[in-house]
This record gives sequence, C-alpha cells and structure tokens, in this order.
Amino acid sequence: MKDHQLPDPVHKALEQRGLKLNVKAWVRSDMDREGYLGQVFAILTLEGIWIISGERADVTDFGGSNAVAKAGGSFIRRGKRRAKEASMRERTPMVIKDLAFVALADLKSIELLNEVVGGLMVARINDEERWLLRFSGSRFKAMAAFTKDVQALLTDSEAEADDGKAVERFCPTCGRRYPDENRAFCPHCLKRKSVFIRLVQKFKPYRLRLFVLLAMIGLAGAFNAFIPYLTGTILYDRVLGQDPEWLAALGQMGLPQRATVLLLLLAVVLALTKLLQQLTGILHGRQTAYIVPGVIAAIKSDAFDALQKLSLSFFSRRQTGSLMQRINGDAEEVTSFFIDGLPYLLFNVLTISVTAVIMFRMNPLLAIMALFLLPPLFIISFRLIPTTWQAHGRRSRARRRVYSILNDTYTGARVVRAFGQEEQQNQQFDKVNQNLRDAEINVMKAHIRYEVPYNLGRVIPNLLVWVTGAILIIFREGTLEYGQLLTFISYLAMMQGPMQFFSMIFVIWSESMNAAQRMFEIIDARPDIVEKEHPLDADLSGAIELRHVSFGYEINKPILKDINFKIKAGEMLGIVGKSGAGKSTLVNLIARLYDISEGQVLLDDHDVRDLSFKSLHGAVAMVSQETYIFMGTIAENIAYARPEAARQDIVDAAIAAHAHQFICKLPDGYDTLVGTGGRQLSGGERQRLSIARAILANPKILVLDEATASVDTETERAIQTSLNELVKGRTTLSIAHRLSTLKGADRIIVLENGRLTEAGTHQELIARRGAYFNLMELQTKALAMRGVD
Amino acid sequence: MENKQTASAPIKAIDRPDAMQSLEEKIKMRWLKPEECVFTRTSGGFVRLDFRGTVYPRVAVHRCFPFSAPDEYISIRESDESSQEIGLIQKLDDWDHDTQAMLREQLELRYFNPKITRIKHVREEYGYAYWDVGTDRGDCRFVVRMGSGTVIHIGSGRYMVTDVDGNRFKIPNIHTLSPQEMKKLDMFI
Repeated sequence: MKDHQLPDPVHKALEQRGLKLNVKAWVRSDMDREGYLGQVFAILTLEGIWIISGERADVTDFGGSNAVAKAGGSFIRRGKRRAKEASMRERTPMVIKDLAFVALADLKSIELLNEVVGGLMVARINDEERWLLRFSGSRFKAMAAFTKDVQALLTDSEAEADDGKAVERFCPTCGRRYPDENRAFCPHCLKRKSVFIRLVQKFKPYRLRLFVLLAMIGLAGAFNAFIPYLTGTILYDRVLGQDPEWLAALGQMGLPQRATVLLLLLAVVLALTKLLQQLTGILHGRQTAYIVPGVIAAIKSDAFDALQKLSLSFFSRRQTGSLMQRINGDAEEVTSFFIDGLPYLLFNVLTISVTAVIMFRMNPLLAIMALFLLPPLFIISFRLIPTTWQAHGRRSRARRRVYSILNDTYTGARVVRAFGQEEQQNQQFDKVNQNLRDAEINVMKAHIRYEVPYNLGRVIPNLLVWVTGAILIIFREGTLEYGQLLTFISYLAMMQGPMQFFSMIFVIWSESMNAAQRMFEIIDARPDIVEKEHPLDADLSGAIELRHVSFGYEINKPILKDINFKIKAGEMLGIVGKSGAGKSTLVNLIARLYDISEGQVLLDDHDVRDLSFKSLHGAVAMVSQETYIFMGTIAENIAYARPEAARQDIVDAAIAAHAHQFICKLPDGYDTLVGTGGRQLSGGERQRLSIARAILANPKILVLDEATASVDTETERAIQTSLNELVKGRTTLSIAHRLSTLKGADRIIVLENGRLTEAGTHQELIARRGAYFNLMELQTKALAMRGVD
Repeated sequence: MENKQTASAPIKAIDRPDAMQSLEEKIKMRWLKPEECVFTRTSGGFVRLDFRGTVYPRVAVHRCFPFSAPDEYISIRESDESSQEIGLIQKLDDWDHDTQAMLREQLELRYFNPKITRIKHVREEYGYAYWDVGTDRGDCRFVVRMGSGTVIHIGSGRYMVTDVDGNRFKIPNIHTLSPQEMKKLDMFI
C-alpha cells in the first residue's frame, strides 16, 4: 500500500514491543497459517519483512464492505454503528500472537503462488522456498502490489507508481460494494430517481404529444367518474323520479315538461359522453402509437452505439446473444412503464379522488363505509405481492431447468442414442419436471393467499353499503334516495380496477427501472481501451517491438510473462508453442485489442497507446481460423475494410487469394448473398474470402492465426498459395503448428508457458536442439507414422 | 485402471508392439507406491519428495476429484511453471499417518473452503446477494453474484458457494439446515 501509515492498532502494538519500524509498505491478510480468519500483517522495511499475526477475527468482511445483510435492517444505520465500533477498535492496540522477521539480505526473491482460492506469498530464503503468509481471493490485488514493492527493494529499482487505476471498491454513501470492480457505480444509490429522470429526457421530443395523451387520459377519467352519476342519481332520482325542479327547467328551455323528454335528454347526454370517451381513447391511442416506437428506437440506438465503442473484454465477459435480447427486451419494458403505467396511474388517482369527493358530498356515512377498507386493502396487496413474486421467480427458475435439460437432450440426441442413455435422460427430465410442477403449485397457492383478503376487501364494503343504504332509505326518509344508492354501488364497482392497478404499479415501476438500469449499464460502460487525448496519426511501416510485456486477462493469472522481441518491417515471424502458451494473446496485444499491464508494445517506435485507432487498425489485419462472414454479398464481405473499394480491386484481391475461381462458379457470382441466412460456404472458401479481405485491406502488419487449421490438405495447399501472395512485402506474424506454414518465416520464436524461450531462424533453432527442435521432431515422426512424407 | 494386467493385447494390425507396451508401462508408472516415495516436510512449510532417485524440493499436491473423491486420486506435481505430474496417489489412506498429515496440510493450503455452520442472513439486491454466515474458520460476510454457477450442487446435498472475489464456501449438508436457513437459500436452490 502506498500510504505508509500503519493502522493505529498495529502501530500501537508494535510500539508496545518497542519496535519503531520505518515502513516502506505494508499489507493485510485475512487469515492465519491454519486458515482461520484473522488479521495478519506483512510490513516491509529497509531491513526486511515483518509478519505479524493477530487474534482470530470476530467477523471478517470478504470484500471489506460495511454493508450488512441483515434482513429488514437499514444499511446506513448499520453503517454508522459499525463506524462507531470501528473507531473504538482503532484505539486499542492489536494483540500480537506471533511475530516473525525475514531479513532482506537473506531474501533472494518473492512471489505469489496462486491456489484454487487465494494464494500464498512465497519467499526464496537462502536457497529454500518458504511461504510467509496466506490470503483469500479478496486480498489478491493488495498482495500483488506489496510483492511488487518488495521486488523493487530487492532489485534496488523504482517500484512502479500506482497509476491511480485502483478504483474505490465501496460506495461512500451506503457502504455497499460496487458490483462491478471497474465501475464506480452503486446501484442502490444511483437509484431509480435519476434513472427515471434520464428516461424522461428521452421523451422530450414528444412533449406536445405527451401533453395531449395526458389530457386525454384526464378527460377519460373525468368522463368515467361522471357516468355512474348519470346512470344512478340523475336517472333514478331526477328523471324517473320526475323531479319538479328539473321539469320546470325544461319549461324554461321551451321544451314540453314531460318526464319522457327528460329521459330523452339524459339518453342524449349519456350517448354524447360515451362518444367523447371513445374519442379520447382514439386520440390517446394515436399518441401512444407515435411516442412508443420513437422512444424505444432512440434508446436502442443509444445502446447500439455504445456497444460499438466497447472493447473486447466487455464482450468476452458477456454472451452476445443475451446482450442483444437484453437491449430489445429492456427497451420495451422501459417504455411500457411510461406508456401503460404512468398515464394510468394518473388516470386511476384521478378517478379515485373524484369519486371519493362525489361520494362524500352525496352521503358521508355511506362514503366511509365504501372507502374504509381501501387503505388496509392497499397495504395487504402491497405486502403480499413480494411473496407472489418469489413464487414466480422459483417457477421461472424451474422452467429454465426444464428447458436446459430439453435443450441438452435434443442437441445431444446423437450421443444419447449412440450410448443408449435414453432412460437416464428420461429420469433427469422427470426430476426437473416434478420440480416445475411443485413450483407451479406454489404459484397458485400464492395467488390464492392473495385473492382471499382481496376479495373480502371488495365484498365487505359492498355489503355494508347495500345494507346501510337500504336501511337509510326504508327507515330514514329523505336522507338517501334510491338513485344515490345505485350511484354509490356503481362507484364501488369502479374502484376495483384502480385498486388492482395500484397493487401492480409498484412492481411495474421496479421492473421498468431495473430494465432501464440494465440498458444504462451498457450505455454507460466505459470502454477499456480509449484513445489518448491527442492520438498520433502515423503512417506505419510495420516494424514491431515488444519490451518487457506482461499480460493476463485476469489480474492473478498472467498469460504472457516478460516478452521481448523485435520484428523488422516486411519480416515474417513464426510463433510456435503448445496450446495455451499465449500465442493468440500476443497478437491480440499488437492490435491493441487489450491493454497490457506491464511493458510496451511499439509500432515503428510509437507506443500503441499513443497511436490513433485509425492508424492502428488501418495498419493491422488478421486472418484467423474462425472466419466471420457478414450478412451481405461476397463483394461486400471482401470490401469490408474498404467499403469504397473499386470493383477492380475486389476482383484483384479475390484472384490473388485464389477465391475468384469458386466465386465465379456460383450462380450469383460476387453478388451472392452470404452470411447468416445466405448461402453457406465451405471452410476453405470462407478462409479464402477472409484472405481476400485482408489483401484488399492492404495492411502493413498481417496476423495469421492458424489460418489453415481444420481444412483438408488440398484446400490447405490452395490457401497456402494465397497466403504466400498475401505476405509479400508485409510484416507478418504467423501462428502455426505446421512445419509447412513456418517454412517461409524469416525468424521463429517459441513461447512456453507465456515466456519467450527461443528465437532465431529455422536452422538456428534446429541446431539448438531445444523446444523447437522437439516440436519439429514430433511432427515429422507423427507424419512418418502415418506414412506421409 | 485396476486391471492393467489384463488389458487387451496390442492390436496386431498396427505393427508397433513396442509403442503399446511403453504405453502400458507409462500408465503403471503413474501410480505412486509408498515404498518408492519419501515425503518430508520442509522448514519452509512445503513438502519435498524423494522418488526414484530424484529429489523434488517442493511438490504441488492437487485433487483430481475435489468434490466427489477428495481423498483419492491425489496428483503430485512439480512446483515449477510446467506443473508436470510426477505421479498419482490412488488413496491417501494407503499411506502412513505422517505422510497423510503433511499431504493434507498442503491440500488445505490449496483448497481453502470454510464450511458454513450457520446462515445468519442472506439479502438480495440488484443482482447481488449479501451473505452473513458463521463458518468453521470464523464468522464472515461475503457478496455473491446472482445467476447460474455461483451456488452449485456438488453431490449428496452439498453445495459450494463462490463469491465475487473467487472465495469458496461449502454447505456440507443442506438437509441439516434449519427451516429458516433453508428459506434464506430459497433463491439459489
């Protein structure tokens, strides 16, 4: 750790023992030698390393977050209490159970040994390997940094400065650990409000339409609230009851004072209201039709844009298929809340408020009867929804398991039959099927548990209102009219919809915000590989140099270790090694598909990180075993790197790649549609297409990654001829297993376990009788056994 | 593997009898026998092996079946980068107590997985589950990513939980958990 201040308890404990250490670096481990969780410290001074073991820990936080998994407890509260406890612990000196010291003079080397979980810090002391301490997977990075510091001291060199890449792992607000190490993104704190606001921005272009939409919903709500009034009170009490006031009003309007006229008028008003309601519905629908696809498209476009910019490691960590699904599904889910959720929320709130007001104005007593169960009902459904959701979750998991067994069985049908394992597959299926059945039953049970109180909450007010109303009408003349009672009942019935809606809205809101979050995760993901502020546009000649390059896809699993070599422009370099030695990784680094952790990759003496993507990608082309043919014509595929290429160039490239012949034989020639959904080409044909593509791209640096693997000998010969054409005048890196491919190489390097162990010309390496020699021997012997020359 | 002696005779069609024989011998040679090996503890905390005249100052000890047969098929390997296998121990029980003890110590260094004795709380949030448990190595808390592969069934009611740092925790027997604890694991099983 760069901060040389030991934690107080340790410092105090050392003081007690009379040790005043000049701390150069220190690190904490989370377990003692027996593997019990506890505090162990390693301290580096100029004299050596001190290992201090403390007591076993009360609680260990893997990941060290302050967040606690207490159900129902508030995270923040706990965080504060823990902070208090922690500060109390700060004041007491640590209890030292064991103290050990390794003198720097005796220390030959130090390194970390990876275990299945975590690792050991191993020192070479006077010709013997000794492990100093052990640690869990959570401490790896810290241990690596400390080891580097020790190594720097040993070799008397400068330890590499912490390039500030160390990201804070915990949210400062809530104490939770950031789920993604490389992003300071706390899902809890980022919260749905800001996601919501971001989404709202997307609707800005549709402001006017949204306004119309909401207005329509408002109107629809008003009409909705109005109708029961019409069909209840007005119809029964004023019209059928022949209210004298109303009849008089008719007279004033110059109409005959008859009840039938009133009825007719009412019918007209009712019809008009319904008609208007329909109209609002239509307008509402139209606005939706405009807004929804527009917003979905905008969000998807953002996401797709972002995807393009992301670097390879993002893709390798996730499956592309699920990514695409996500983008599609999430974009729709997000908008569904805004279109189906929010407006109806308003609608329902309006409906309920308006009806409540009307009911209270008509008869407070009945209003109370009708509404008193509403709040408890709301709370109940709120409480019960989570359990139903859990049941749903279990069912989807059970379903997924059934599908995966089915998938397994069908895709592996040949193997199942060949080995006669049908019975076994049946048994497996039965198991997961039973599981699914149980899960379905649980879902139903959960639903029933929810329905019962819900129905009670509906039925009881209804009953109460009927009974009370009837009593009032019969025994208390004048307090209530029959029509009013009917209106009440209608309003009660109308409340059902909103109530159900309210219980669902929270779930829709969470799902929608979750979907939005997922989308933003993609949109926000910072590409790992970024161009520098002012990148260099260089015309590269093709000279490559690697200086002390070390790299691993994961921090504690290095694939390449301290690689050094130079290639002149126009040279062909063969890269040989067993599978997994790091060959493909090496070439990926040259194209800057990943950024290295140590060392430098230089093209023409420029560090690749300084070069602009344009010059870099323009200079490098790859031909690998897996050829990707895009959806399009053959001509488009060949011209992929240079879409503006002239037809002549495309044909020239195809001829050079020995692809022209088979293309011309196809009925549609260069215009043949290939790729997904198009014509399927054979492996050799695809290879030759990708070689043509590379020829047209005209790169200064060409990478051939086993370009002739998995094709038959004749095709291989054809491809080899094309390749020979391709490599003329370019710097070529050829990863190969076959002697034949390497014959043309100017020089060859051998990679073993990530290290460059041999380099030289074919003859030099054979003469050395080293690893290369062995590999070649093996090959020739194998070929001899097969009777092939 | 048990009936090496009665393996099928070399196929006469391929005229390489010596090749087949050396293969058989190669297989036989893999199995380490107590009388041929001397394992000793080193002062550095590792194990050294003297075998057929060669001294290996430090050997790595791997389990071939860490979940289903943890005390059988123990692979003894060289400690350098190549990690070449020196030989296989068929059953740890066949060896003397001292050797067993030192090999088990090395295995413990390599396979660190505390046994969960008590599940206090599990809370799920935003695709991550926060566990608070008691184990046989001390109480601890860790974070598990929700999704497939993080809580796996390794046979007969045993489960292995992997957290975001790669640490692993074993649930020795799901059936011995209390109903409340089982409920907390609901979302994983």
